[in-house]
Formats: sequence, structure tokens, C-alpha cells
Amino acid sequence: MLQFIIRRVLLMIPTLFVISALVYFIIDLPPGDCVTSQIEELLARGDPDAHARAAELRDLYGLNHPLWLRYLDWVGGIFRWDFGLSCQDTVPVADLISERMMLTIIMETCTIAFIWIVSFIIGVYAATHQYKWGDYVASFIGFIGLSIPNFLLALVLLYVGKVYFGLSIGGLMDPEYIDKPLSWGKIVSVMQHLIIPVIVIGMSGTAGMIRRLRANLLDELQKQYVVTGRAKGLPPMRLLVKYPLRHAINPFVADIGGLLPDVISGSVIVSVVLSLPTTGPMLLSALKTQDVNLAATFLLFVAVLTVIGMLISDLALAALDPRIRFGATSEK
Amino acid sequence: MNSAGLRYPQKTLVADYTRAATGVVLCAAPLLLLDVNRWLAALLLAGLALFALFLVRTALRHRTRYVLGPDTLCADGPAGTLVEWNRLDRLKLSYFSTKRDRSDGWMQLSVGSTGGRLIKVDSALEGFHDIVERAAQAAETTGAPLSDATRANLRSMGIVVVGQEETV
Repeated sequence: MLQFIIRRVLLMIPTLFVISALVYFIIDLPPGDCVTSQIEELLARGDPDAHARAAELRDLYGLNHPLWLRYLDWVGGIFRWDFGLSCQDTVPVADLISERMMLTIIMETCTIAFIWIVSFIIGVYAATHQYKWGDYVASFIGFIGLSIPNFLLALVLLYVGKVYFGLSIGGLMDPEYIDKPLSWGKIVSVMQHLIIPVIVIGMSGTAGMIRRLRANLLDELQKQYVVTGRAKGLPPMRLLVKYPLRHAINPFVADIGGLLPDVISGSVIVSVVLSLPTTGPMLLSALKTQDVNLAATFLLFVAVLTVIGMLISDLALAALDPRIRFGATSEK
Repeated sequence: MNSAGLRYPQKTLVADYTRAATGVVLCAAPLLLLDVNRWLAALLLAGLALFALFLVRTALRHRTRYVLGPDTLCADGPAGTLVEWNRLDRLKLSYFSTKRDRSDGWMQLSVGSTGGRLIKVDSALEGFHDIVERAAQAAETTGAPLSDATRANLRSMGIVVVGQEETV
């Protein structure tokens, strides 16, 4: 196992470096820079010092330096938790992202927990009650979840909540807790506001997972060893848990890595629609204004989370099911 | 059956030393050269400890000679130990791969006898197949419990342990 961990960690390091370089260079590719749009506003207002101000800002953000030098400066700063200056309000990126990053991590963790718990229960129920009304209901929910875009579901819930229940669904906490230090009331408020975003963001992932678990478990349940077990009079629950469920659960573990980027990218538009103070809306605005330091920092965090998710998934899979794949070589 | 002395090939050891050294350098360099944030420093220190552990393990492998005999498997080296085949109570054969399709991986055998420490060997070891075969024979005799994964991996190596077929 140590050898496996070492090899996977060694693969992670160059992967992250390549991703960080690609992200940084691609965001800078379009013509212009983050100062361009600010200066256009000043010029439109007839400010005579617009060009001098532009030169000043470019000097402040280091935009006069070559791109590779700015990249190395940014990468070097990561180790000091200094991601450079953001063009939005000229504040350090580290100050801008801290609370939003924490809220995003909380929201994504709750979403993934929701996906796993709900899809596990419904998936197992649907497979063990095939062609019963419960299976049809689960399948129907699954297809609905897969076919409705997350942002549309968010809009519908916003409308229904406001018009029929008088609820304000937007935001991640009550207005009185915004920019206030952490308190029990704030935690409760965040938890209450998390319910709708978690359901909206987790809907398609849950639906997909239900379908996959149901299909895998049905495959296993139809195998001869299950029929033999049943014929020998093994209790149904023991028969289910001992072999078929253990085999069918592998996709759950294998999907951890893929689930994380899906949930994060899916939450961007939902966060905009529901006015959630997570990283999504800020990332979108940073990409639109070519705020390279801010956008690259967000995307690097997504990459880090994805790579860590993949590592956890691979380690868990290696620990749970260290079987050889038939046809693969067994010896080096 | 005569006793056979088995070692890890030079090529495998060099590759492992390179991996360990690369990891140690990558984790230690920022700590030594930059003013690192304390949380990141903790992460880098954890990485450094992991790679240092791997370096020690590789060095131990380098200095160890495995002796496969009719009655025992002996790891003759700095952290040496002995497994008696007729007292075998633990046998685990795992397969690891860093590729998504799980191809091109390696096997790891863990064997232990009552009251003794485990011996872990990788498929890179010369004579790995002979050790697995002998361990499977011993498991057949002693009735050591085998997991599903171990049975599947043994089958893929053409080894079937009589009396350990899947039961429901």
C-alpha cells in the first residue's frame, strides 16, 4: 500500500503543476487584461487621466511583466498563502476567497453526503423491489433529476418558495449574520439555508448514482451464487449485504473523484441563481474580467480538490477491492 | 525443495530510490528555500515523512534477502522475521495499479504465522510466483482464511487453493 500511495502522490505533484500552468496561461489568452475594462469605464466617463491610471494599475498588478514571470511569482506565492492581488477592488486574493472557500467546501461536502446517502437508500430499494411501485417512483425521480437542469430547478424552487410559501430561499445565511464572526446562530442559519442548494445541486448526481447502483445491484442479484444462497435458505438481508451489495458498491467509491468536479462546476450557475456567497459567482466574474490571479487560484483549488478526491477514491478502492483485472499483467 | 535466496532486482530498487528521493526533494525544497505558510508547511512535512518512510523501506528491501525453504519463508536483513508454513494463519494477495483501467499493476503478498510478524513482498521480487505457490499450499494445509480478492488474485496466477472455494 505504501508503494501505491507514493506512486499516486508522485503523480499528483506534476499533475497540479501542469494544471496550474494551463489554467494561468489560458485565462490570459484573450486580448486585453483586467485593467482594460476598468479603463474603458473611465474613458467613457471622459476621465483625462485614464491612460495614466491604466499604466499605474498595470504596474500595480505586475501586468507589465512577461506572463511566465507572473506565473512563477504566483506559484511561489502559493507556498506563502499569497495569491497576489485581485483586480476586483485591488485586495489580496487570499482575503477575498477565505470565507467563500469555507462556505463552498461546507456546501459541496453536504451535497456529496446527500448524494451518497439518498442514492444508496433509493438505489438499494429500487434494485431489491424491481418492477414494484417503489422502483417505478425511484426511476421516475431518477429520470426527472437527470433531465432537469440544476439552474432551472433552482429557479422553480425560488418561485414556488416566494409565491406559495413566502420564503426567501436565496443566500446562505440570514442577512444579519453576513460579515459577522462565527456564532451558533450563524451556523444554524447556514444549515437552514443549505437545504435547498444541496438538493438542487445534488439532484442530478443523486439521480445518476441511483441508476448506476440499481443496475449494478440487479446484475449481482441475478447471479447464480445469489440464487444458490436463496435456495439454501440464507436470510435475505444477510444474502444481500454479504456479497451483492459489496460488489455493487464499488462505483460509489470509484465515483468520489469524478463527483467532486461535477458538483463544483454544477454549483457555479446555481450559486448565481440562488445568490449564494460561494466561490462560483466570484469565479464567473473573475473569468469575465480576466482577473487571472483570482480565477487561477479558484481553479487551482478545484484541481486540488479533484486530485485529492481521486486519491481518496483510488486508496479506498485499493483497500476495498484489491483484485486483479482479468487480462492485465500480474507481474512486472 | 531446496532453500532459495531471493532479492529485489537492482532496477526496481533504483526506481524506488529515485521515487523516494524525488519526493523528499520536492517536499523539502519549499520548506528550506521559501517562507512557507504554516498549514502548507504541515502538509509538506507530512509528505516529507511519507517519502522518508518509503526511503527507509526501500533501503530495508535493499539489505534484505528472502529465503524460501520447504518449512519457512525467512526475511534475512535488518528487520528480519520468519514465517513457518505449517503455522501460517494470515495470507493476503492484493493487486495494485495506478492506472484507471487497473492494468499494468503489481501484486503484494502478506503472509504471517501464529505469533510472528508479517512478511510483505511485491511481485517485483525474484521468485515471487514460487513464494505465492508455497503460501497457497500452506494455506490449504492450515486452513488459513482467504478473502474474495485473495482467491481471485490467486486464480489469476493459476493457483487454486483446495477447500477455499467460494461458499455461500
